[in-house]
Amino acid sequence: MDIKPILSSLRRSPTGAILVSLQIALALAIVVNSLFIIVQRFEKVNRDPGIDVPNIFFVGWVPATDKFQGEVTIREDLAVLRSLPGVVAATVVNAVPLSGGGSSTSMYTEPNEKGRRGDMNYFQVDEQGLDTFGVKLAEGRNFDATMVTKPARNSSTSPAGILVTRDVARDMFPGESALGKTIYTGTSQPVTILGIIDRMHGSWPGWDKVGNVALFPVISDETFARYMVRARPGQRDSVMKAAEDALSKVDNGRVILRVRSQEYVAATTYADDRAMATYLGVVIALLLGISALGIFGLAAFNVSTRTKQIGTRRAVGARRSDILRYFLVENWLITTAGVVVGCVLALLLGYWLSTTFELPRLKLYYLVVGVGVLWVVSLVAALRPARRASMVSPAIATRTV
Amino acid sequence: MFAYDLRLALDSMKRHPGLSALMVLAIALGIAVCTVTFTIYHAMATNPIPDKSSQLYAVTLDTWSAERPYDDEKPEIPPQLLTYRDAMYLHGAEAAPRSVVMYKSGALLVPERTGVKPFNAELRVTSHEFFPMFDVPFQYGQGWDATADQGPQPVVVLSHETNEKVFGGENSVGRTVKLGKNEYRVVGVLRPWAPSPKFFDLNNGSFEDPEDAYIPYGWGKTLELPVYGNTNCWKPEGGETYQDFLNSECIWLQFWAELPTAADRDKYQAFVDNYARSQKAAGRMPRPLNNRLYDVAQWLDRNEVVQRDNRVLIGIALMFLGVCLVNVVGLLLAKFLNAAPLTGLRRALGASRRDIVRQHMMEVLVIGLAGGVLGLLLAVGGLAGIRAIYSSDFTRSSYERLTEIDPVVVLITLGLSLLAGVIAGLYPSWRIGRTAPAVYLKTQ
Repeated sequence: MDIKPILSSLRRSPTGAILVSLQIALALAIVVNSLFIIVQRFEKVNRDPGIDVPNIFFVGWVPATDKFQGEVTIREDLAVLRSLPGVVAATVVNAVPLSGGGSSTSMYTEPNEKGRRGDMNYFQVDEQGLDTFGVKLAEGRNFDATMVTKPARNSSTSPAGILVTRDVARDMFPGESALGKTIYTGTSQPVTILGIIDRMHGSWPGWDKVGNVALFPVISDETFARYMVRARPGQRDSVMKAAEDALSKVDNGRVILRVRSQEYVAATTYADDRAMATYLGVVIALLLGISALGIFGLAAFNVSTRTKQIGTRRAVGARRSDILRYFLVENWLITTAGVVVGCVLALLLGYWLSTTFELPRLKLYYLVVGVGVLWVVSLVAALRPARRASMVSPAIATRTV
Repeated sequence: MFAYDLRLALDSMKRHPGLSALMVLAIALGIAVCTVTFTIYHAMATNPIPDKSSQLYAVTLDTWSAERPYDDEKPEIPPQLLTYRDAMYLHGAEAAPRSVVMYKSGALLVPERTGVKPFNAELRVTSHEFFPMFDVPFQYGQGWDATADQGPQPVVVLSHETNEKVFGGENSVGRTVKLGKNEYRVVGVLRPWAPSPKFFDLNNGSFEDPEDAYIPYGWGKTLELPVYGNTNCWKPEGGETYQDFLNSECIWLQFWAELPTAADRDKYQAFVDNYARSQKAAGRMPRPLNNRLYDVAQWLDRNEVVQRDNRVLIGIALMFLGVCLVNVVGLLLAKFLNAAPLTGLRRALGASRRDIVRQHMMEVLVIGLAGGVLGLLLAVGGLAGIRAIYSSDFTRSSYERLTEIDPVVVLITLGLSLLAGVIAGLYPSWRIGRTAPAVYLKTQ
């Protein structure tokens, strides 16, 4: 196939071709960078949080009258929850994972804030906490009921033994096992690491140390306490209803505020990320659609204005396939010029995004995907007009317009 | 002339309905995407208190650790909250015409009316200056005074919504509500009031509703009310009691000062710095002297109220509009050149170049305006869609606030669509205006 005549014809009236190329270039830059952002968001939303998200729910409550007796009342309620059919485990807890609210502290490998520091987002739970979260213990053992304490409201007394995730263990004891090690609070109280949790996400999905979590054997102060229940697979919704009913029947001085699933909390937390991904997805779809329509419209228009030329070419011996190929190759050349410029634009846009908004650098393989997509879209858009061109009868050449 | 140009434009559009529709659609989509993005951005970037924006200052002191800055990513900024003792000192010194110290808390609200379920009311525990400083509008009654803060007296101001819920909207001044275990006398009821962003407390989200009720600051200490915002501590304290907590280096209080003039501001900055120096001399505040006053606009900026995502989306939306425009330019050019013989004829019959350009621009403007109107409709649909998909119980009010289309954005949209039309039409119209009549007449 000789592309010389195509090139010389393009050179004669370049404006239309330049505009299509420019459009493709801009489209490529946007598609590639949007796709990159979408994939990042999906990776963030779909990370494994380690906990049994689909089967966990929370019961929020506040003390209301003098009948409320702190730990006694809490234990009473937990007994009610644990006796319900379909409940795997239940605990009192100070915060909800993935909710954006929680508590954190730092501990050190040596007293007086010396040695390596471990930041941890801690959850105060009783002996059923591990089972209720549904997280796996990689090493060591869970704490038992005798180790669970209820310190005074503003006391900074730490529990004697805690569970930490691998992430915390790695920060504090890189290259060795943290199991059984003694670490120190900021006020130099010694704490023993009783067990290592394989993987668990804490309260703040946006934190770069979201996996730095610890479980403390502590009954939380009623200001922040709520109940966490894990139901048998598939029974969450019925257990949620049963739990609310059962607790409402017990008149022990606290009021049940709301019952919410972990799934709901996670969906709310990630709503912005999903919104961003969806929005960009819609933009990409519209962009490809409008580009395809533009290419189609222009190609169809060009074919209709060049009908007489095509007829003449057919009359002097060009086959249908020659005409088809002519238009497709012309389109391919214009598209390719567009994607070459588009790659540069995409890299510039990616650079601007990464420097201005501290986003990660655009990965190059996204360019390959984007170029492929635009080639296909452009080919599909030009196919029908090119086919129509090839259908032009040679007899047209003999008629005047 | 106008009517004639318009008729020519409509005739020309009718000759190629598919192509014309395509151009309208392209502009409409570009405009719609921009409008949706602008609407959300505009809602986020709105100044919530324009009249006093440059007189209200969030006061921050760097009381953080010598070892590391408060924010590793932005080591130059001091923490956004104050310790109890610093806030109490600054408030007590009365160095500003007005200042307010406050935090967010909550308690079970038990309505006196039967049939209304008790609910956990969000409380703002605040000194009395809150209401006049932030121009809070009252429907009934008023706020309280300094003696009520110190007493503290059992008085409460209810939000409009709480008054609706608890008292059915009637004038409840003088009635009582039970918060937690104590009874409070209603002294004021607000009009509907929800500054967005919620600039005076950005801890729990920038677009949250204000609290359900307001009680005097003194109750915080008396009842040891919990902190619903953030409490951050850097220093291990080893405290056992609430008093230990109040004496600690933990930060949890919001503090604002009203400083009407630049001189007031400078004076206050000097006052805060002097206080910090005295504290350094006493062995506190180990970091370099770094106390900052932020007016409302600076405060919103410091707290990144307009999210990064939304700035990215503005860029992408504008580029999207760019693609649509290039698309339209290409289609227009092809269309105009195709009709060149007709234009040539009109030129030969006496139409000036200017006439030709004007006539073609008219067509472009009609297309632009049609695209703008269609785009606006698409945008309204798109915003409704976003609201429907993303508002949950938690986020309903903030999404409703952010997706509300306002007149400014509508005007901007229509202006933008006309501008887009002009930009897209200039080159093709100019090009066709240069048509030499003879060339086209010859081929006829």
